[in-house]
Amino acid sequence: MTDRSYISFDKRIVIFAGAYGSGKTEVAVNYAIQLAQHSEDPISIIDLDIVNPYFRSREAALEMETYGIRPINPLGEQTFADLPIIVPQIRASIESSSGRVIIDVGGDDLGARVLSSMHDALETAQYEFLMVLNANRPFTSTVDGALKMMHDIETSARLNFTGIVSNTHLIGETTPQTILDGIALAQAVAVRAEIPLVFASGMDEVIAKLENKNISTPLFSLSRRMLKPWEHASSTAKNH
Amino acid sequence: MTRILMKGNEAIAEAAIRAGGVHYFAYPITPQSEVGEYLAKRLPEVGGVFVQAESEVAVGNMLFGAASTGKRVFTSSSSPGVSLMQEAISYMAGAQLPVVIINIMRGGPGLGGILPAQSDYFQSTKGGGHGDYRLLVLAPASVQEAVDLTMLGFHLADKYRNPVLVIGDGMIGQMMEPVEFPDKYDEPALPAKDWAITGAKGRKPLITKSLFLDPYALEQNNIVIHAKYEQMKANEIRFELYKVSAKNRMLIVSYGTMARICQTVIDDLEREGVSIGLLRPISLWPFPEMQIRTEAAKPNIERVLTVEMSMGQMVEDVDKAVQGKKPVDFFGRTGGIVPAPEEVRERILKLLDGKMAK
Repeated sequence: MTDRSYISFDKRIVIFAGAYGSGKTEVAVNYAIQLAQHSEDPISIIDLDIVNPYFRSREAALEMETYGIRPINPLGEQTFADLPIIVPQIRASIESSSGRVIIDVGGDDLGARVLSSMHDALETAQYEFLMVLNANRPFTSTVDGALKMMHDIETSARLNFTGIVSNTHLIGETTPQTILDGIALAQAVAVRAEIPLVFASGMDEVIAKLENKNISTPLFSLSRRMLKPWEHASSTAKNH
Repeated sequence: MTRILMKGNEAIAEAAIRAGGVHYFAYPITPQSEVGEYLAKRLPEVGGVFVQAESEVAVGNMLFGAASTGKRVFTSSSSPGVSLMQEAISYMAGAQLPVVIINIMRGGPGLGGILPAQSDYFQSTKGGGHGDYRLLVLAPASVQEAVDLTMLGFHLADKYRNPVLVIGDGMIGQMMEPVEFPDKYDEPALPAKDWAITGAKGRKPLITKSLFLDPYALEQNNIVIHAKYEQMKANEIRFELYKVSAKNRMLIVSYGTMARICQTVIDDLEREGVSIGLLRPISLWPFPEMQIRTEAAKPNIERVLTVEMSMGQMVEDVDKAVQGKKPVDFFGRTGGIVPAPEEVRERILKLLDGKMAK
């Protein structure tokens, strides 16, 4: 990861939401780690995924602690539960006046509903609420589909998006063109939604191939943290 | 159609629709609930029906009734839910009804946990319900294979008039991979469903049942369904070989995502000069018994290792296949723990101890 891809936000709280499987967790975890390398502030990452039973950011909790990031998620046996558990530290970190907070929200409007319970706390806080968009997912492959998803999430969360993250990918089959196609869709969605496209993310090795292209959207490099058991950290996804 | 990124559960749901399975009965349970969530959105678009039952017991009986009409019907669940359906599954096997059942397995016994497991092998292949019956059991190892086997499952259920079970560990349901769907599901012609209950106007009434009080009639029904099981053994054994060669010192038998972990280990060990081959059963019943026997008997094979996310279930069938000709070892983790490549590698090297290539 290079400084080139560092994206900074003035807001203390950055919330990643979006459709199921848009890659929110991968983006949130990578973002938290990059922030930790560029900021002196204490950083917390909140796993607010109450709809997904596997591949949640809590699985990367130990790794994040090595970067000095505080993971906030259900503890003990509840780590492995598929229950809507909201630990008290979540509200405390939102209401706090200091420290950076990254929130990884569960997928779709169902996953975002939990945010509405923090509405009063968030209302007075400084936050970015980012829609993570993967154009290769069934319900967000068109501008209208993406806008409907955004509207459903906003209604459910009782928060309005402040920006879009283009995270279009096909895991190990992602090409530079995949990312460019995703940016094109995200730009069209951003125009219709009247909010900015804040960055486009992709795996290190694919983003590197876009370096010399004249792309107006800031690029954000990811290294895969949420691996399948048969994948080595060093390699990209092997397809069966 | 282009490649899209789907979670296994969603892909299975879409595959069922593509195969004409638009009558779905289910009750939610982790880690397969996305099948129902997806179908709740999609089935109304294709004129299908999703009935959420009050329990999996009811699901089983709804399947029995709906399958009797000759329509393509299916359900999905996870281990404890599938246990509740066993009575109806036995009834459907006895009544020769085609139905597809998806089991995205979680750790047991009992309520267990919600993480991946392969501990329903016995239940799936040995008859979880009562009576002399078999299910055709298919086990995918990737999201694409889950799509392909789900569609094939509908075909085979109709072909044999028998329930088909597609089983995947929780990882199959929860992980995302790129997939594609055929625009049209091409399948060989099937016999007319002259047994389907469609209204008796102009013909004699039909009865779908598994009750035969006359012992000769019941025995005859068993003979008929067992003749089909023999046909399945002749026609429906599916498996895949990975890096099987005359250099192999060991044969691994493993299925589902566990087999993919074994492939990673095999690739790693190959670089270190240790040659291992893998036989991955795709049909768990009928079981590739002869194929395992043939591979295990080759003179270069020192040992056979079965790797499962269970305390050791399929290993009994591997042991039976090998017929004592080679030592059969087992490695497994359970409770939802997915063995890491490193642990599998360590076990292999320990078993080949002292005879290492390097």
